[in-house]
Amino acid sequence: MITPFHIGLFAVSLCILVTFLSFLKEKDDLHKLILTDLAAIMALFIIALVGTDLAEALILPGLVVGISKLMALAEIYLVKEGIQQKKNSTVLDIEVLDTAPAILAAILVIYGIILSGFSGGAVAGLGIIFYLAFKKHDEKFELIETVSGYAWVTWIAAFFIFLIFPSQWFLAVMLAGGGILLKVMAKFSLIGTMRGDPGV
Amino acid sequence: MTPEFIIGCGLIILGAISTAWPSPRDYITRLINLEVASFGLLLVMLSFDETIALLTFVAVSGVSVFILVRVIGKKEAVIR
Repeated sequence: MITPFHIGLFAVSLCILVTFLSFLKEKDDLHKLILTDLAAIMALFIIALVGTDLAEALILPGLVVGISKLMALAEIYLVKEGIQQKKNSTVLDIEVLDTAPAILAAILVIYGIILSGFSGGAVAGLGIIFYLAFKKHDEKFELIETVSGYAWVTWIAAFFIFLIFPSQWFLAVMLAGGGILLKVMAKFSLIGTMRGDPGV
Repeated sequence: MTPEFIIGCGLIILGAISTAWPSPRDYITRLINLEVASFGLLLVMLSFDETIALLTFVAVSGVSVFILVRVIGKKEAVIR
């Protein structure tokens, strides 16, 4: 009996072979960075083949870790080549790249708030990083610290509600989910400020 | 086995091969070919009804294209 799982497994093993063969022959670092993204897609394909709720639960952190890895590697590459302060090439002067970040960041933040919990915080934080990294900005660290403090308070209040009024568990779950959303979001948005600007 | 799954598998294989050996070997071609593979992954997720994973993947892949285009733009400015 051949199931979709087996066919998918065959396809993914072929793709992984292709990806790693091209990895071996590649010398240029930026080409390797793009191929890393291809390898990440292959890893997600394997997980998606499981096809249950478990797969969904594993894909979400995989995506979040993948994007933060890509951001970090891109920054390291720019620093290594010493081209961090360079202006973009005129060949790639695309209108959308100037106007889209604000809209995309807003969509990510709203979607993250709907998701809530850890992955919601990560998605919303991603929106904030994205906005900070592509627009001119001046950071407000005090605001991030204040929000982080309130997140602790809601978290601890949620634990007390769990212990003292167990019948109100739904309120407690919502408070704890909102708290961890704010915590992860604040931590993530700090990454957006490390662009290597002098003084940061 | 749904049609989405078959098309998705085909797109992933084609996308992987075209990303591995792009025809004009430059960064932009490779980045565009990468989109073929990620579209295949979207179709596979669709065939397994993984809604939240699909939505998050759409969001994240949009961001990753922006990051890579920013790096490529700076690199091209040095080469020229």
